[in-house]
Amino acid sequence: MDLAFVPAQLLSGLTTAMTLFVTASGLSLIFGVMGILNFAHGSLFMLGAFCLVSLLQYFGLSGPGFFAALAGASLLVGLLGAVLERFLISRLYGKEELFQLLFTYSLVLIIADLVRMYWGVNQQKVSRPAMLSGNTAIGTVSFPDYNLFLIVTGFVIVGALWWVLGFTRLGKLVRAAAQDREMLGMLGKNVRLIQTGVFATGSLLAGLSGALMAPLVSVVPGMDADIIIVLFIIVVIGGLGSLWGTLLGSIVYGLSYSFTVYFFPQLALFVVAALMVVTLSIRPQGLLGKRVE
Amino acid sequence: MKPLPFIMSVVIGAALAGVAFSANAQTIKVGVPMILSGAGAQFGTPILDGAKMYVEEINAAGGVLGRKIELVSRDTKSRPDEAVRVARELILRDKVDFLVGTFTSAEGTAISQVAKENEMLTIVPGPKTDRLTAPDQLHPYIFRSSANTTTEGRAGAELAMTMKVKRVATIAPDFAYGRDAVGAFVAHLKKLMPDVQIVDQQWPKLNEADYSAFVTAQMASKPELVFSVICCGNFDAFAKQAKALGYFTALKGNFIGVAEAGSVEMLKALGDDYPLGVWGNTYDAYNFVGGPAHKAYLEKVKKFTKEPIPSSWVIQGYISMQFLTEAIKKAGSTDSKKVSQALKGLTISSPQGPITMRARDQQADRAMLWGQVVKGQGVPFPMLTNIRSVAVDRLMD
Repeated sequence: MDLAFVPAQLLSGLTTAMTLFVTASGLSLIFGVMGILNFAHGSLFMLGAFCLVSLLQYFGLSGPGFFAALAGASLLVGLLGAVLERFLISRLYGKEELFQLLFTYSLVLIIADLVRMYWGVNQQKVSRPAMLSGNTAIGTVSFPDYNLFLIVTGFVIVGALWWVLGFTRLGKLVRAAAQDREMLGMLGKNVRLIQTGVFATGSLLAGLSGALMAPLVSVVPGMDADIIIVLFIIVVIGGLGSLWGTLLGSIVYGLSYSFTVYFFPQLALFVVAALMVVTLSIRPQGLLGKRVE
Repeated sequence: MKPLPFIMSVVIGAALAGVAFSANAQTIKVGVPMILSGAGAQFGTPILDGAKMYVEEINAAGGVLGRKIELVSRDTKSRPDEAVRVARELILRDKVDFLVGTFTSAEGTAISQVAKENEMLTIVPGPKTDRLTAPDQLHPYIFRSSANTTTEGRAGAELAMTMKVKRVATIAPDFAYGRDAVGAFVAHLKKLMPDVQIVDQQWPKLNEADYSAFVTAQMASKPELVFSVICCGNFDAFAKQAKALGYFTALKGNFIGVAEAGSVEMLKALGDDYPLGVWGNTYDAYNFVGGPAHKAYLEKVKKFTKEPIPSSWVIQGYISMQFLTEAIKKAGSTDSKKVSQALKGLTISSPQGPITMRARDQQADRAMLWGQVVKGQGVPFPMLTNIRSVAVDRLMD
């Protein structure tokens, strides 16, 4: 059997996996620490892409301009997350989960309409920055630099989250907030600030991933709905609220999708959905998730 | 000074009643179920604009049968079930006289059932699947002003034949439209070139965000030509990812993108990322030289939509309303049955020339524009060149 296809499918699967990881990690972080399943995560992803489009018009498409726009778009969405948490979502703490669900779902509708009003209904034009539009040969396969950049960025974010959550004082506080908010409050820590910070960081990751994906996908109203389903598949497979689970879920999703497309193109969707069904029936908490007592 | 308020109220009351009366009894109401939100809004909005523009023109000229036309639009959210729901609502609650609408093939076939049940004449400006007007599905109340998968697939096959290659692959979204168009293309190409090899067929789902796995898988089978039906606003994502992977370079420009890959919307959305040299089709093009009627039409669209470069979709709403209005005029009635009879075989002089609604399958002989994509001149994005209108009469059964 000719194995020449393996590196190409592997790298395209990894690109998918690592970009989706960046989006899913925000969703998972917010759920893990705050217990909120944010339906509007896909909307924040979409906002990131649209903000990048607008910021590129100011910064230009040169290399530094692109990175400035990337940072700007992520920060804007992160800031929006902070505002949302501070003034709206914080009112729902301790209420029934159904309210959170309804609330974040209304956010989906509101953001979709705002995007349509501000940017219109047409596809936005975003290209890869010139400095990343070349190709690099890896073995026998020539691979787009931008995809490599996405893969590296994904792993950088894995590392950063791992380090911050596991080895810093801030990470300890965040983990403590996830375990027992009240106790942490009694110890004199500012829990509200941690909650706002976590929601903002999760939103920033959504915005960043939307901006990162923009040069490779259709930047158009509706991209919010398409991603949210994929995100749920990933976090269900990997385990909602777990960093390594989200990473594993993304990689399982990306690689199984890419190789199924090669071998049985008709079954690509079936296989990833089946993986979710199997996970749910054998390990409902996800591959690396913690069992909820 | 007591009588004055009384007189005034009588006058105002009469005026209001008059307005209400003329609005209810005199206007011809046309329901427009159309995608107006989500990714599909980029097609639905300009189609609705086209319908509005035609209605404005005809109303300014006194309407039809002495009555004005009124449009009532509803968002189908790109879902067949929602299309059916809003169509029923338009019929039952808004009491529309006709329906003109839907964009996707799934919506089109769904709404055809509503048209049949309610005996409500319906013209669809977007859906292309052959199933809609297939003999076993056809009924007197459904008409199509868009192209269909047979004409699109066969025209693609004729173009493919001129490229003189043997190894052909296809990529299309996995739903009625993609399947039907590829089916028509492959069958016709095999008839034209019996020794052609179909080396690979990819079926990504509709609105797939990640095409790279499909692209690398297709490249592994080394096709010399690809026929693509990537549609519905997905072509820019596909082209960006495929171009990065060297797909179009490997094909040496032997790529035929139907499903409006050549529309100005796509050319704008992709800009410098558009693979030059490939072939695409579109319903309309701002740089198509189609005679004075087309030129005047484009000027009107520019003014109406306030877009310096007119959308390629406006014309589908425009000609659909033109078909309806002229059929009403010919029938001398707004009865769906009579208008349906009048529509069969009716020829309109559209901005792009005459179009006939064929009597046998209630399908317009809608020719699409085909061209090759080159670097833009005078515009900051690529453009179609050698634009030709491919007549479809001989391509249809």
